[in-house]
Amino acid sequence: MKKLLIFMISIQIGLILNAQVLENLTIGLESNTVWYNDDGETGPFFDTSNNDGDKHLRSNNYLKIDYNFLQNFTASVQIESYEPFALLNYSKSYEGTNLGTYSLNYRDSKLNITAGHFYSQFGSGLILRNWEDRQLGINNALQGGKIVYEPADFISLTALYGKQRVGFKTSEGEVFGFNSELDAAALLDFRDSSLDIGLSYVGRKEDTPFVNPTFDELTNLFSGRVDFYQNNFYSNAEYILKGEDAIKQGGQLSNRFITGGNAILFNTGYSKSGLGIDATFRRLENMSFFSERNAAGNVFNESSINYIPGLTKQHDYLLTNIFVYQAQSIVNLDTSQSGEIGGQLDLFYKIKKETLIGGKYGTKIALNASYWSGLKGDYIQDNPDAGTLPSYDVDLFAFGNKYFSDFSIEIRKKWTPNWRSIFYFVNQSYNKKIVEGSGQMITSNIGVIESTHKLGNRKSVRFEIQKLNSDSKKHDWTGGTIEYNLNSKFSIYVNDIYNNGSDSDTEKTHFFNIGGSYTKGATRLGLNYGRQRAGLLCVGGVCRFVAEATGLTANLSMSF
Amino acid sequence: MKKIIILIALTFSSGLLFSQNLPNINLKGLDGKTVNIKKISKSKNIKIFAFWATWCVPCINELDAISEVYEDWQDETNVELIAISTDDSRTKKRIRPLVNGKDWSYDILLDDNQDLKRALNITVLPHLLIVKNGKILYRKTSYIPGSEDEIYEIIQKYTN
Repeated sequence: MKKLLIFMISIQIGLILNAQVLENLTIGLESNTVWYNDDGETGPFFDTSNNDGDKHLRSNNYLKIDYNFLQNFTASVQIESYEPFALLNYSKSYEGTNLGTYSLNYRDSKLNITAGHFYSQFGSGLILRNWEDRQLGINNALQGGKIVYEPADFISLTALYGKQRVGFKTSEGEVFGFNSELDAAALLDFRDSSLDIGLSYVGRKEDTPFVNPTFDELTNLFSGRVDFYQNNFYSNAEYILKGEDAIKQGGQLSNRFITGGNAILFNTGYSKSGLGIDATFRRLENMSFFSERNAAGNVFNESSINYIPGLTKQHDYLLTNIFVYQAQSIVNLDTSQSGEIGGQLDLFYKIKKETLIGGKYGTKIALNASYWSGLKGDYIQDNPDAGTLPSYDVDLFAFGNKYFSDFSIEIRKKWTPNWRSIFYFVNQSYNKKIVEGSGQMITSNIGVIESTHKLGNRKSVRFEIQKLNSDSKKHDWTGGTIEYNLNSKFSIYVNDIYNNGSDSDTEKTHFFNIGGSYTKGATRLGLNYGRQRAGLLCVGGVCRFVAEATGLTANLSMSF
Repeated sequence: MKKIIILIALTFSSGLLFSQNLPNINLKGLDGKTVNIKKISKSKNIKIFAFWATWCVPCINELDAISEVYEDWQDETNVELIAISTDDSRTKKRIRPLVNGKDWSYDILLDDNQDLKRALNITVLPHLLIVKNGKILYRKTSYIPGSEDEIYEIIQKYTN
């Protein structure tokens, strides 16, 4: 605390001394505070991960300061405070107040050098991605050094080394990376098209816990990619090869189960004014990759080196987010899992103005479909008595057990200058056993109607009504939202979802929220009271399980 | 704790009096060409940097709303809106079809590992910067229907 005070005072003095400093300073503050209360319906407050039922007030705070100086330098620090404990469902490794990340960066037209913490991404991130998501409690920045060298316009080379951030500590394992990006279109002087080629290497070195390990402490991954774009057409492909490594089975690292992995990602699309089509195919086989082998499968997504998002549409409504898919990348012989295969299709279309269906203002349509299943093949359990090692043998393009499918259509319609509506329909199948560990396949149909009315004088009102029907007796949900914007600064809302089905966790309970926000410039203050449904919280295709909780939440965010 | 809050408040309030420079960061456009943020911000015409994502409904509502009046804005003030997508590789593929499908005429830049978003300390989307002569004149977060009119008033104020 004292350190923080001294730090703040020194900044303050610095600011007063030099006004010019301010022109090169950016500051971001985010504070999320919750008072968890005992809930008459769902039970008293209890934090299972800290074994605590007393500290009802929790707060996560982030202060980030970036300062540019001497033309080419940037210094950056992020101070984080989780007091007295972090909000519910965050990893225990976020505790207390401390320096989260710090870095010093030098950048000129050819060189970009960072010492300290850095965030990096190679290709789509399937081989390496460092990122921060405060809502999910993810910050897997590397602490070490990174050099990006661009000797010419068409080539970029990156070398990096670091240990990964895990809470306020760093990982046991070390990460090495090299990346090269070649802009072949510029090199070959293509006029109207672009062609990028990328090659990467990522290595993770971690001591093995075994006396006679049957695998190397260094695990190697290689990736190659091509990205092409011409006129209205584009296409890209990526292949990743993961070298042999020990697999974690039954919660333990195995010295008997050693195998490699790979990933194929292919994406293509066509778009022109008023029309867009996009298709993605992805196959993952044993692609989970962590800076510590034992972190594989951890619920907080800590220590993950690569980024494996669920490639499904990110829906925006309460009931469309009850059954959310999480990409399956781990190996589990018990459930015959070694990865996933599937794809996603998107279509965007604008029906022109002044046509029969388009109406006076035009109509916008978005279609999305995705399908994911397991890898089909033979899964052989460990049997030391019979002399068989654990293994699996899967086909390249065969679809196994269905994990998830999703079809959605969204129609956006403007009726008058002051009235617009969105119609949304989703059909989903969700393999609860695979995604959450227990349960069965649930197929649901969800309908949403949203309508926004401008009332003049910058007042507006927005309604949502939502309905979810499923083939399971457990899930029959109804939901609604009303939002009223008093002016461009104040906004209040109330929403509620209710399950009329027999699901023991959620039945006959109103998961309601009431709140408001005040926004001025880049400052936003939100207040909310409500009951949170237990389930997967997903941001950017990565999910974290959150427990049921009721409380009063205050969110403050400021940027300068 | 109180002292810290006061200090933070002071720091921020003194920050309000100055306009900031933009960071020296390169982003790629949808056409594959690299753009330097500092360079493009050094224009005497106003530029709007609108941070958005394909999954952010208020962002899309805001860009849709501006898109309907964008021609008028441009005619009167020469303003240019640059829509900076913060989509990561999961949803990045959706940018091109969405932009074309919606018939937006904005330039699109890709901040797919959020380097610029982080450098500007943006935490909430949508987030909008009004920039002129290399300086940030105004920052705004969140969107409610009709707030595009307020943005336009600010643009008009800073034009000339």
